[in-house]
Amino acid sequence: MASKSNRILTMSHAIAEGIANEMRTDPSVFVMGEDIAAYGGIFGATTGLLAEFGEQRIRDTPISETAFIGAGVGAAMAGMRPIVELMFVDFFGVCMDAIYNLAAKNIYFSGGNCKVPLVIMTATGGGYSDAGQHSQTLHATFAHMPGLKVAVPSNAYDAKGLMISAIRDDSPVLYMFHKGLQGLAWMASPEKAATEVPDDAYAIPLGEAKVVRPGKDATIVTLSMMVHRSMEAAEQLAKDGIDVEVVDLRTLVPLDRATVFKSVAKTGRLIVVDEDYSSFGVTAEIITSVVERDPTVLKVKPRRLAFPDIPIPYSRPMEQFALPNAGKITEAVRESVKKGR
Amino acid sequence: MILSDIAVPEGLWDTSKTPEGVVANWFYRDGSTVEAGAKIAELMVEKTVFDIAAPAAGELHILVPKDGIVRPGTLIGRIDGA
Repeated sequence: MASKSNRILTMSHAIAEGIANEMRTDPSVFVMGEDIAAYGGIFGATTGLLAEFGEQRIRDTPISETAFIGAGVGAAMAGMRPIVELMFVDFFGVCMDAIYNLAAKNIYFSGGNCKVPLVIMTATGGGYSDAGQHSQTLHATFAHMPGLKVAVPSNAYDAKGLMISAIRDDSPVLYMFHKGLQGLAWMASPEKAATEVPDDAYAIPLGEAKVVRPGKDATIVTLSMMVHRSMEAAEQLAKDGIDVEVVDLRTLVPLDRATVFKSVAKTGRLIVVDEDYSSFGVTAEIITSVVERDPTVLKVKPRRLAFPDIPIPYSRPMEQFALPNAGKITEAVRESVKKGR
Repeated sequence: MILSDIAVPEGLWDTSKTPEGVVANWFYRDGSTVEAGAKIAELMVEKTVFDIAAPAAGELHILVPKDGIVRPGTLIGRIDGA
């Protein structure tokens, strides 16, 4: 098939295509999860795969994350490259032993004799009134655990390239996609989450952040949905002559501290934006990464914007009040820039 | 100039239950060159997705944008094959 570089894919189609690319060339890759086969994944990440690869390789499972995430760890250690979908990241509780104590540790506990090439694909994020057990991002919960890698794409191009790297990696990878970026007809998605995506397989290395907007006055470090909110803020600020640099982390583990530091050393101002809970999270880790290396690069105190330390409300006004957004980001950047002059 | 219509196929879904659907996504920008048979759009009716393929090769002209409402027979775009 000819390469169609002008084709625009949603993030959901890009993820499914990345999986399909790898499944065509590697017979050890297969997918398991709830409603991932006949339905195509409730957030579209496995659309079309059953028709091409059949029910031996695209497997609907019973509603037991304990069983099928555990089975994924075992299959990975036995030589397969499974992708298991944890439908909502919020459902991690019943399979956390398989994730924290088996997937994350078995490479180490076997003295490196076993690989665990498992991808756990999971949907994150709120903003659509689905309440506290269906709206979390939980980035830090997984990035905290040694032995797990964590990929968090913000757009279709990155989503495909990071999925391919995740499948090829010999360590377990949490692949966390935000529901609101998938481009589903029934959930609003930022226009720029859908991008041009090449047909062929390509890999984006885990551990490389991307400067998605160069600027000189302040650095916003962010990920996932908040990349889009930060870009909206940056466009607003540009009208007032404030030139913001936006760094999309793309992966949390490995964490590209070098790109973050380089940007902050240039701008002297740091604002970290995350949809996960505020305390003990990504925002603290990013700020610490900079001040541990050299606090004198900062002209003003660093700032963080994240979800307050409360369960996510169902009520739309309450949830929207609590979420970081372009207005809050704009205000935080303005305060930083004002103080540093 | 050969213009090919891109219409929502008649009988694609049961309109007695659900009269309308929406254009969920266009996979090419207006004015892009597309190949015959390429998946160019998807429609969503309730939670069911229907793919729309290019009827010919040529330049795509979008008539119903993303999120626009459609019924069977609706002309959603044209392909200029000249």
